[in-house]
Amino acid sequence: MTSVSETPTITTRNAVEEFLFHEAGLIDEWRLEEWLDLFTLDCTYEVPATDRPDADPGLTWSLIHDGRTMLEQRVIRLKKPEAHAEFPHSQTIRIVGNVRILTQNNESISVTANFIINRAKAGKFDTYVGRYDYDLTPHGSSFLIRRKRAVLAHDMLDPQGKISFII
Amino acid sequence: MTAEQFIIDDRENSLFRVNREAFTSEDVLQRERKEIFDKTWLYVGHESEIPGKNDFQTRDVGGRPVIFNRDRHGDVRVLLNTCLHRGSSVCRHSSGNAKIFTCFYHGWAYRNSGELVNVPGNEDYKSEPAAVYKGLQSPAQVDSYRGLYFVNFDPDAPDLLTYLGDARYFIDLAADQSPEGVAILEGTHKYSLKANWKLLVENSIDGYHAKSVHHTYFEMMMELGATPPMLGKETVNGVAPAGMGTEFPNGHATLMYPANGLPLATDSVKQTLAGLRSQAEQSFGENYANAMFGLARNSVFFPSLILIDLSFGLTLRTFHPVSPSETLVTGWQIIPKGVDEEFVRYRINNALTFWGPAGLATPDDVEALEQAQKGFGARGEVGWSDVSKGMGKPVPAANDELQMRSWWREWNRRITGQQLPTEGTSFVPFDKQAADA
Repeated sequence: MTSVSETPTITTRNAVEEFLFHEAGLIDEWRLEEWLDLFTLDCTYEVPATDRPDADPGLTWSLIHDGRTMLEQRVIRLKKPEAHAEFPHSQTIRIVGNVRILTQNNESISVTANFIINRAKAGKFDTYVGRYDYDLTPHGSSFLIRRKRAVLAHDMLDPQGKISFII
Repeated sequence: MTAEQFIIDDRENSLFRVNREAFTSEDVLQRERKEIFDKTWLYVGHESEIPGKNDFQTRDVGGRPVIFNRDRHGDVRVLLNTCLHRGSSVCRHSSGNAKIFTCFYHGWAYRNSGELVNVPGNEDYKSEPAAVYKGLQSPAQVDSYRGLYFVNFDPDAPDLLTYLGDARYFIDLAADQSPEGVAILEGTHKYSLKANWKLLVENSIDGYHAKSVHHTYFEMMMELGATPPMLGKETVNGVAPAGMGTEFPNGHATLMYPANGLPLATDSVKQTLAGLRSQAEQSFGENYANAMFGLARNSVFFPSLILIDLSFGLTLRTFHPVSPSETLVTGWQIIPKGVDEEFVRYRINNALTFWGPAGLATPDDVEALEQAQKGFGARGEVGWSDVSKGMGKPVPAANDELQMRSWWREWNRRITGQQLPTEGTSFVPFDKQAADA
């Protein structure tokens, strides 16, 4: 067991929270291009299937498994009026909490957090809950996201029906 | 009180209308439960979901909780998941492997072939429960076609093969894609829809909505250098670029059109697909292989099994009404067996760009259907939906609505008893005699 002094701390929970809260704000404000800028070029954005939360979302019938190209397409689409499920935009507000740094080194910081998101649109009011797993990489005085994974704590998307916004 | 006439099938003026009460009436739903879901073949699951002895899946089929499993001999069973004692579920896991199902309420235990084998306090019964009740019951009929398992709660319903008729070829065109067969991937899409189940039937076999609802998907495809659906230039096996809709007896229907290129496919992926195609040509001949790999197909098997077989993926979908305005949908992805991991990853990535509740297309469909359901609030004044597109054409295109009319005429026959004549002939996009040989 290495002692604390042998493992230099790259960052603090405060700094990570600041970043995650900033990310959450961008998404809830629908500033999606700025949100995209938080990701590395080799990033992945993943949401596993509700019945296979621990499986590789690239090898199972998951909900989202975007690389950089598809993530950009997702954002491009959501800006168009023809993205019918999100036009007009739904209102979302999310709480990101229980933030913990699991491991950290010069290249990578792995973070876990919980989320609770409320989405309101046209009389529908839905809640989405789950856990975020992030692989962050230090970038200047902040971070970039190499991997963002949202693991839903849902049996199924009922009553939500869809995830048409950015989770 | 509901209107007695649900369909206006006006051949003289080529107008087909559906009474919007069909989408909102509680009475209609009760009739659908009795005349459709209690009497037709309902999809349960695929053999690949229970590959080994004692494997099981639990799910709801036609409103009944069932266990879909293999017994200790490897035989596939469908058991009604309700204890013969007081009704509690005897299996509460969604999937797993078990030789015995023990009800947690009073401990009654059943073999996975159904037999009641243990009753705590059996000595307190003058008539032994095992002798009286025998075992977990099954639906009246259980059968399979090409690995797809179905049940029918009506013991007098015609057998599955008769029921499917020529529509079965569209299952063949999926199941034959690899000499090793096909398999369901792990991971399920399960989501609710705040709209009537029949709207999703229509949407699943609707070509007309693609350009408008999936506008952003079409734009994305073109940006990535691929040809969007139905906008190609070639004719394949007699199916023109605009595609065609076709109808089958018993309410099944298909739309098909020449398949388009694969967006973002690596050489390895193209090679794998070419390999599957050449194997199919060797086994079945070029004509059949062309139908299989050269055509995209959306099929409905009455009442609510959808098989969408496109170049970028193969999805199976089934759904069931919770209420007139709410539906629960389950979606799976099918993969030809024997392909490498790169191919599976490619297919998933591609298929997810479109399908599923977090895809870039399905949510827009859900939005359209939910908006339609909202609009039915005005059905007192605007009482009918139009499903007339392509009526009177000798060869209705993929974005016409023949396939919906086929389904609605069967729905109407079951709900009202009224028999409406078919519009045209069924079309199977390959030489059946050669294929059956």
